[in-house]
Amino acid sequence: MLFTGSGAALCGAALLFPGTMTAAPQPPDTLRVTVAVSDSVRRGEAVLVTLRLTNTSDQRVTLYLTGRTITFDVVVAGSDGQVVWRRLDHVTTQQIVHVKALAPGETLEFRDRWRAAAPPGNYTVTGVIPTDREALRTAPAHLRIAP
Amino acid sequence: MSRQSILVRSIAAAALLAAAACSDGTRSTGPEPTPVLRTAQAPDLGTLARTVPGFGGLFIDNGVPTVYLTDVTKRGAAERALGAFAQSRGFAPGDIRVLQGRYAYGDLDRWTQAVSYEAFDQGDVVFVDLDEAANRVLVGVDRGASHANVRSLAARLGVPAEALVVRETDPIVYATTLQDQVRPVVAGVQIHFGNFLCSIGFNAVSGGQNSFVTASHCTNKQGGVEGTQYFQSLSSQANSFIGTEVADPAYKRNLAPGCPKGKLCRFSDASRAAYAAGVPFTLGGIAQTSGPNNGSLTITGTFSITSEGNAVVGDVANKVGRTTGWTQGVVTNTCVNTGVSGTRIVQLCQTFVSAGVGGGDSGSDVFGQTGGSSVRLLGILWGGNQAGTQFVYSPITNVEQELGALTTF
Repeated sequence: MLFTGSGAALCGAALLFPGTMTAAPQPPDTLRVTVAVSDSVRRGEAVLVTLRLTNTSDQRVTLYLTGRTITFDVVVAGSDGQVVWRRLDHVTTQQIVHVKALAPGETLEFRDRWRAAAPPGNYTVTGVIPTDREALRTAPAHLRIAP
Repeated sequence: MSRQSILVRSIAAAALLAAAACSDGTRSTGPEPTPVLRTAQAPDLGTLARTVPGFGGLFIDNGVPTVYLTDVTKRGAAERALGAFAQSRGFAPGDIRVLQGRYAYGDLDRWTQAVSYEAFDQGDVVFVDLDEAANRVLVGVDRGASHANVRSLAARLGVPAEALVVRETDPIVYATTLQDQVRPVVAGVQIHFGNFLCSIGFNAVSGGQNSFVTASHCTNKQGGVEGTQYFQSLSSQANSFIGTEVADPAYKRNLAPGCPKGKLCRFSDASRAAYAAGVPFTLGGIAQTSGPNNGSLTITGTFSITSEGNAVVGDVANKVGRTTGWTQGVVTNTCVNTGVSGTRIVQLCQTFVSAGVGGGDSGSDVFGQTGGSSVRLLGILWGGNQAGTQFVYSPITNVEQELGALTTF
């Protein structure tokens, strides 16, 4: 697989950082994590993958994410569940906690591209955002690779 | 460093024990009690003392409701007062076991309060309890502490010598974790700077300066000294400022030997911070949890660095860090030039270990066990794989090559 990563793009409105830190991450049910991809691409085309992490609560949420630049993973699997590409496969990441505050309604966005070099067929794309505890995972999005 | 010295001794907890003398959370000097699970049904002991003549204590002995009476002929009063309680536990009132008591509950309570009020001034007292399962006043003292001091105090307060039991016991401590504030500071505990959390690698003295070492990327800017300020464990806590970054060599192109074309290199991802004046730390101390690879973050003791060295493939290496605690595994690769995801950095000549790691473990100590609590310092952890099953560390020789000679134990 050819990885043509553009790196982690951190978008979103100006972030509100707390003056002091909370001692524990917020419950994940205050967050919505989604992944968006094209419905269909031709084999060999670049697929833009966009992860969004949104604070759906009316309170500021403090997240214990990882990496100096926030780390995120993308997993592409075939219809048989076999993983054909994983963004963080065979890489070494710095094991640092990145404390990030999200205002109510605020969204973090992460983007990368994957060149769809897998055989034609149906695939699922799942986004994963590691934390210092359980990772935040998206529901899978569906991707069709045409010949 | 002793266990006591890194854990906060709970005088408050001991005082609570003393004040709540009727709620015996300690081991009894009498028959082995069964834990009372249905506390809502337990009768009030003060009420029993008023209504049952000669009442000296109530406890459950191997499931059987049992009372002390100074006059065992008064068991009828005890059966009336405790009948419903006994029945709720499957016993008829007549099944209540009555033991010959020597002291009335009211006297024991008065003596317990009096001893408690003064005993904690002696410094070696861990708890004071009305031991209702032994019909005695029980005082717990530190191991090796004088019993005579407590006995002398009790005598002065009018407590009969036979009514007092002095027992040596372990200190009662808060369950401190790797993510809590720990003093003296030891390796493996959480540090906070800016908007990031890492772990302390080891304490060190460099040119007479008291210091700790952590990862270079656990500074405001990886490579170069910006005077990063560190807090342990969080800046929001009182008295949490512990030190300032003083050494973090720049990453360089063409660093001989072996820096790949277009990359920035160093031989270690390590930096040094100077402790602020007055911050207590333990040279050579690494926080220890209950065991490797069990996920626990609770500090149960301390490893002591007694040597430094390098590992070879097949050696067993350990680390203690704020996120995944104590993990242990086999060294799989040595002197690996390692690219850092998302950067132009290549760390030269690093070591891979097949052991657990998680975000926040950066900066952790890496060590080999040499017997008992003694360990050989191997390096500083800085990286890992996506699955959290392999960590990467900078060997101690690389660290000292770049930070200068360090006294680590």
